[in-house]
Amino acid sequence: MADAALFFTDLALGLLLGCVFAVIAHGLNLIWGVAKVVNVAHGEFIMLGAYGAYFFNVWFGFNPLLSVPIDAAIGLGAGVVFYFVILYRELRGKESMGPQSEMVTLVATFGLSLVLINVAQALWTGNNVGIPWSPGIIQFGFLQLPLGGLYVAIVSVVIIALSHVFLSRTYLGNAIRAHSQDIPAIQLVGINPTLIAAVGTAIGFCITMAGGALLTVWLPTGIYPAMGNLYAPISFVIVVLGGPGKMWGSLAGGLTLGVMIDVGQLFLGGSIALAEAIAFLTLIPVLLFRPEGLLR
Amino acid sequence: MKRPKIRSPGPTLWGIGVFLIVLAGAAPWTPVFLLTVLVQLLIYATLAYSLNFITGLTGYVSFGHVVFMAFGGYALGFGVGTLNLHPVVGVALGALVGLALASGIGLVTLRFRGVYFAIATLVVAVAALYIVLEIKELGDGQGIYLNIGFEPLSWFYTIWVILAIEVALTYWITHGRIGYGIRSIKSDEDAAKTIGINAARVKLVLFAISGLFAGGAGGVYWWTLSGVFPYQAFDLNFSLQMLAMVVIGGMGTLLGPLIGAVAVYIPSYIFLTIFSGFQFIIIGLVVVLIALFVPEGIVGSLRKYIPEIRGILE
Repeated sequence: MADAALFFTDLALGLLLGCVFAVIAHGLNLIWGVAKVVNVAHGEFIMLGAYGAYFFNVWFGFNPLLSVPIDAAIGLGAGVVFYFVILYRELRGKESMGPQSEMVTLVATFGLSLVLINVAQALWTGNNVGIPWSPGIIQFGFLQLPLGGLYVAIVSVVIIALSHVFLSRTYLGNAIRAHSQDIPAIQLVGINPTLIAAVGTAIGFCITMAGGALLTVWLPTGIYPAMGNLYAPISFVIVVLGGPGKMWGSLAGGLTLGVMIDVGQLFLGGSIALAEAIAFLTLIPVLLFRPEGLLR
Repeated sequence: MKRPKIRSPGPTLWGIGVFLIVLAGAAPWTPVFLLTVLVQLLIYATLAYSLNFITGLTGYVSFGHVVFMAFGGYALGFGVGTLNLHPVVGVALGALVGLALASGIGLVTLRFRGVYFAIATLVVAVAALYIVLEIKELGDGQGIYLNIGFEPLSWFYTIWVILAIEVALTYWITHGRIGYGIRSIKSDEDAAKTIGINAARVKLVLFAISGLFAGGAGGVYWWTLSGVFPYQAFDLNFSLQMLAMVVIGGMGTLLGPLIGAVAVYIPSYIFLTIFSGFQFIIIGLVVVLIALFVPEGIVGSLRKYIPEIRGILE
């Protein structure tokens, strides 16, 4: 029984963690879907979001949930800057990504990612920091779950649901989805593709940085400049699992990965590193056998 | 139009050859400090040429090249530490491990195109670190400490031989019939297939060669540090530096990686002595700028804007 209890606790924790993973991957998913660019520096914006939450905690005593809207606002700005500085030159007037543009954006964002890591290291040293915030524990029968994790999971699902409503029910959202499907066609109906791509990228960054703030609840001492090297691959795997451009895909992929890591380490003798390695490598069979993602 | 003769050794090959031979002749009389800098430079040049085989020639961006380098180092560590081999044999073992690993990884990941290949290699690099951390024989989180002496001349001649073979092979590939095929894969893989180029096999062979040399270079690199340490060995900064050298020098050219290695390593060495960590900010910024504004790199731009020296750069 004890083992079963442990299993279900890890399952529940994995699901809660998976919701946060879903949000950070959701930001990448949007940028990938709209601008057709894979942002290799994605992990560094998660890191910036986490540091944002940390500094708001140090300066103003905010808990991570309060930092989410501020981080999101910063993310919007960062997304616009990122689009016009890095992507605009390469993407303007293009109807689809050729191999040359793909390579340019990959290399440029990879360069950016190392710039950001090393700037963060210079500014804030390489030491781990964290936010001491634990609102207690909630008991469901034998399940003991951290209340903070539960709040964060709820906020995460709300963010994904809101972005889904935005994309499917509003004019701007529809324009973004249309942009991801057919750029010449949206120009015919009088939509400015540059504007839409910039807005889509900005919203992607907004969600990414909000996700970074949410993630800090799970990282009592785990905020450090190179943390993106862990969370960027997690996001890539989630997006590929869910299928790039599918909005519910990030939630499905996030939950899958969260459970794989938390339950997986139970069967691997408590080794989270090995569970993570295996979760990462699922990317390859998925790409081989179901390149469109797990969801239809 | 007169077609250039295939494989007539051009000025570039002569130039690189003379450069290497002068280095080899001068090495025994070079001060030790300068010699260690030269060894590092040659290691980075080898890494740059290694990435050039796959990213430069076929356009497949590999972020995971650090894996071959790291396992080359681990092969050296295991071979020298556990099997008591001579370090040079350890380096050869590292190269073979790199070859085997690249063949295995390439067999699967080279089926993916563009961004999917890049992501797959990045994910493999991160996963490999976590797996190595769990392997007791490879010293799990601690790495392997080796007790081999400080012998810069042996390092120098080992990496020199590796680089010389690699440059010759690059020349043979870029200036031969196969070079046209490879460039056609870079431009349009589907079109290349329709004219009878076995794209899958060509890519796999290039990736395997690339892994071979990255493994060898990794072996020498960790030989100079007398040990292998997981977090440093799988540091993605190595991937960045390789990519930076190839992108800055000029993708898919014979001279580019060498110029890139000099252009990246020497300034970063100077910065390293002044303010550690600062060099990656500069390299990263330069990579972003070069990728966005001069994607052909130094050699590619020279070829494009000064047609008169095209013949020299061949």
